[in-house]
Amino acid sequence: MIRLASLFALALLLAGPAVAQDFPSTPPEPGEPQPFEIPEGETFTLDNGIDVTLVPYGALPKANVLAVVRVGNVDETAGENSLADLLMDLLQEGTTSMSAEEIAEAAASMGGSISSSAGLDQASVGGRVLAEFVPDFVRLTADVLQNPAFPADGLERARRNRLRGAAIARSQPGTLALAAFRRAVYGPDHPYTSVILPVAADIEAATVEDVQDFYRANVGPARTRIYVVGQFDEAATEAAIRDAFGSWDAPAMAADPTPPTASVGRQVVLVDQPGAAQSNVIVGIPTIDPAAEAQEVVELQVTNALLGGSFGSRITRNIREDKGYTYSPGSSVSSRFRDAYWAETAAIVTESTGPAITEIFNEIDRLATEAPTEEELEGIQNYLAGNFVLQNSSAGGIAGFLAFLDLHGIDRDYLENYVERVYDVTPEDVRETTAERLSAGDMTIVVVGDRGVVEGQLGEFGEVDVQTLD
Amino acid sequence: MRLFVTFLLLVGLGACAPSVQVLEAPDAPPSTEPDFEPLTEAEIDPPAEADFEVPVLYDSLDNGLKVVLSVDRSAPTAVVATYYNIGFRIEPRDRTGFAHLFEHMMFQGSENLGKNEFIGLVQSNGGVLNGSTRFDFTNYFEIVPAHTLETMLWAEADRMRGLDVTQENLTNQQGVVSNEVRVNVINQPYGGFPWLDLPQLANENWYNAHNFYGELSDLEAATLEDVQAFFDTYYAPNNAALVVVGDIDVEQTMDWIEEYFGGIARADVPAIPDLTEPVQTAEKRSSKVDSLAQRPALAWAYHMPERNSDAYFAMGLLSEILLGGDDSRLHQALVNEAGVTSNVSGGINWPLGNMFNYNGPMLWSAWLIHDAETAPDSILAMIDAELARVASEGVGREELERAKVAVRSGLYDTIGGTFGFGRADLLAAFALFDDDPARINTLVDRFGAVTPGLIQRTAREVLRDENRSVITLEAAGGGS
Repeated sequence: MIRLASLFALALLLAGPAVAQDFPSTPPEPGEPQPFEIPEGETFTLDNGIDVTLVPYGALPKANVLAVVRVGNVDETAGENSLADLLMDLLQEGTTSMSAEEIAEAAASMGGSISSSAGLDQASVGGRVLAEFVPDFVRLTADVLQNPAFPADGLERARRNRLRGAAIARSQPGTLALAAFRRAVYGPDHPYTSVILPVAADIEAATVEDVQDFYRANVGPARTRIYVVGQFDEAATEAAIRDAFGSWDAPAMAADPTPPTASVGRQVVLVDQPGAAQSNVIVGIPTIDPAAEAQEVVELQVTNALLGGSFGSRITRNIREDKGYTYSPGSSVSSRFRDAYWAETAAIVTESTGPAITEIFNEIDRLATEAPTEEELEGIQNYLAGNFVLQNSSAGGIAGFLAFLDLHGIDRDYLENYVERVYDVTPEDVRETTAERLSAGDMTIVVVGDRGVVEGQLGEFGEVDVQTLD
Repeated sequence: MRLFVTFLLLVGLGACAPSVQVLEAPDAPPSTEPDFEPLTEAEIDPPAEADFEVPVLYDSLDNGLKVVLSVDRSAPTAVVATYYNIGFRIEPRDRTGFAHLFEHMMFQGSENLGKNEFIGLVQSNGGVLNGSTRFDFTNYFEIVPAHTLETMLWAEADRMRGLDVTQENLTNQQGVVSNEVRVNVINQPYGGFPWLDLPQLANENWYNAHNFYGELSDLEAATLEDVQAFFDTYYAPNNAALVVVGDIDVEQTMDWIEEYFGGIARADVPAIPDLTEPVQTAEKRSSKVDSLAQRPALAWAYHMPERNSDAYFAMGLLSEILLGGDDSRLHQALVNEAGVTSNVSGGINWPLGNMFNYNGPMLWSAWLIHDAETAPDSILAMIDAELARVASEGVGREELERAKVAVRSGLYDTIGGTFGFGRADLLAAFALFDDDPARINTLVDRFGAVTPGLIQRTAREVLRDENRSVITLEAAGGGS
């Protein structure tokens, strides 16, 4: 003991206040990691089927209140494009007892605002308010969700806003690239494609009755989950939820979206943007979705982070930090219900479009044939483990992640086991995952750029299909 | 104007990061050397309830480096934020965009960390990082697991001690930044609109009125000598603030900071040039053609009253009342009633920051996208009517109270935003610009003291046509 203690003192002495020339040339080793349990809170189910999760968390006197409804663009049928969005817009246009302005003022007086927006698979209604107003905000959210007035003038405004948004989407090269990629992978008709460039004719044709019918078919307790995360009075909040949501009628409705059939195989799509200073490029391939076997999902995430999904990743180091072709490259696994694809996205200086794509494939091929070193992998594992804590260290992050797990039907022990799974991935797993799931030869390439300059650079990747988007 | 677009949140859902918006700050007399007082329990662990206070420990090293520590035990994470008192406003005149280009160079290598190694070190320790260039500061931050804090302090100190970059690194980053300008401005509908355009129109003083992203020709002209000179001039400990927020041991953290930063020499930092703007005497108008946009847009700005004045706090509340939320007057008038737009966005120091993190002349600005059939002048008339109503009738107590709640609530979001980085940002700004990071706990009171009378007087004084600049954007991108 004594010996240990004096050694310790000596070490302190040596490390003591440094003058410039004593600055250590290697980074000090990190200390011991501190345990962090992702707060899961308490979950209960109301009689009408609504699952409620309450998670007390954090140092700030605020909380997120989120009602998630399993309705989205995926539920739109032919001719109904954007109907889910119009529905969510209209929820804020008034309830049977409150005007739009009164709703906005009520939320503001609680220190927040109420938002309602549709995603592809699910929609969310709620907001973030001061702790003392959480029960009141629960009631406001319940009113907005259960008692919409669907005023005709509100629909008119919502349609104009959506049409404006549709025009703006068509002016963004990155959005055009995404639309072309989805069309190549899912075909033109699935909502996952058509949502990207909203269909003006459908928006113009939508009526109040259409919105009401869509609401009745898709919105109800059976499809609704509630999350409250942050600082709040638990008893009062639970009472408010039981009171405000407990008596909502529960018609039966099918719960799950219909995923598209994704096509795998090399396609090269070029959308002409004459004179463009950059090419917006997406290179990607359908892959396993989040509900697949958990270890495989994690292997894919680790592989993605190492390959293109982090700033220090191989593709980014290559085409940004070495070649300077692009500012904002990055890959990700983009997922929906029972559907996912991996894609690398980058805006590349026009004259280097082809060379940049070649480098992307070089990196994929290299990882598919040669396992990464233990050291490189460990760095990525640490990165993912650290990010996981960060992601789940804010009220909004926790609520969003729980909603994500619940949509996909993933058990919540995923949270507990995640970090361990990340560290279970081996170098060979990464190589195999790349070879099996990210086969460069099967990847679809989409380029939105100056055809006159770029088309010739793309021939080596396959037959170029020049498309226009409308 | 960031080092890179954020990679955040690779796992599962990309949860929405709360957007930072808010107001604040009281006028505190500049203190001299801050004292290092022993910590109280309350400073170490903030009370969790009602009266929310940010624990603030402020000190400075002998070499002038300002140090702020703030404990938050919500999660085992720590934020290390290094702020240099050099923003894009005061970059060299023949090198527009240089402050931002230089920010990129800070990731290209220092004595003990070669190119890519700084980023690799942060990532492989489980953290995220970024840097950004703003009006009055350039910042570098890491958000990491708390147990890796010492490693990060060492790394930040290593690059404060000096850069070790090559012409190849510089050429590479000139390419990256040129591509950043292309993706964010040149090849983007509404690129740079209105945040790059409004300061150039509204301001007269070059420091406030040049192209902050930089002309591509200026970016290409930069040399390694420029890089070294800029570093030597501005990147000194006595021109910086270091903030650590999170689950930390404050005494240990102070020891580490002393150990790694204490030996860095101070430098003679030139005084900040005169940033004063002449009083504007007539409305300014301009227009631009956007070859990608399919819908026209309209932007406007008013010069702000002096930072930290009573009128400044009143403008913070007026900004909330006029365009803060769905209940705001401009949202109600333009979106809900007239339906001329889907959204009105804006604020003070918007969108590059908030009303706290700048130090010089500033604009209150906003913009919207509208339809071709709506004439911009008809929208301006609606805006004028709303502004005139505030100036002639003032605002009711209830509406003012609502704005104060919104501002307080928004301030909490700012403080909690981006895993504690928002808190570090405010503390750094108040340390750098006011020598008083504890101001963070006086903001709510300062807003609270604003009366309806002050709101009305401020509206009359600030929201005048002669104090306004307006830009119309013509959509030449075709489409419907």
